Amino acid sequence: MTATSPAKTRSGPHLVLLTVYAIFVLAAGARSLVQVFTAFDEAPIAYSLSVVAAATYVAGWFAIRRAAAGSAGFAKIMLWIELAGVVVVGVLSLAVPSWFPDDSVWSKFGSGYGFVPALLPILGLLWLWKVNPKETDESADSNRHLA
Amino acid sequence: MDAVTLIGFIVAGYAAFVTIAALLGVVLKAPRPKWLDQVAWMLEILAVVLAIGALAGWSAGRKPESLSTFLGYLGALVCLMPLALQTMRTDRSTWSSGVIAAAALATGVVAVRVMMVR
Repeated sequence: MTATSPAKTRSGPHLVLLTVYAIFVLAAGARSLVQVFTAFDEAPIAYSLSVVAAATYVAGWFAIRRAAAGSAGFAKIMLWIELAGVVVVGVLSLAVPSWFPDDSVWSKFGSGYGFVPALLPILGLLWLWKVNPKETDESADSNRHLA
Repeated sequence: MDAVTLIGFIVAGYAAFVTIAALLGVVLKAPRPKWLDQVAWMLEILAVVLAIGALAGWSAGRKPESLSTFLGYLGALVCLMPLALQTMRTDRSTWSSGVIAAAALATGVVAVRVMMVR
């Protein structure tokens, strides 16, 4: 059982997730570096949030790698943080546009990137739920027991 | 329409074709065929041609709005597909086609961005 688990996780949808995360590390990282070093004063909040987004994608990439190797705890936390970030920044960019004279990576729910930033954590969480349904059921059971 | 813009459209269109072909492999749950690698390398050659054309335009006096953004896009355009193919070198599984699809889609998007910022 223990011997087959790593083989099972070697290939799978997480490979595509890792690729997209790597692309976003590159895209968000390069964008935030250019924004911070060339025009930070123009939109400090938006550009700082771009740095946060880039850091989140780096952490997300490592989290998915760890989850594919069997340790899903960090990935669960990171993906929820990422989803919360996209939603909060998306709502703020629409509600308080004066804070965002220029777009950050997560502005308008990632519309500048075809809404992939909003889809990515959702797909990641769906993948986690699919590869670890037992764990999710067990935690649901224990919650029910506690209630 | 100048030559570089035309090459840019060809790269974007061909990238869309590679993306669809690779996604088809995922949908059909087939192992990654050898020909997919070949069409992906063809996309890489086209991307290099576009990068050279864009660099030639820049050296001939064309001024991009942001030089760092322009050069960053060129780097990404040329590096994405070889990195994806290298990472999946020993993995011929269905999902390795998904990786090629993601890299091809990103290459197409970057090609369009290169045309916009050059």
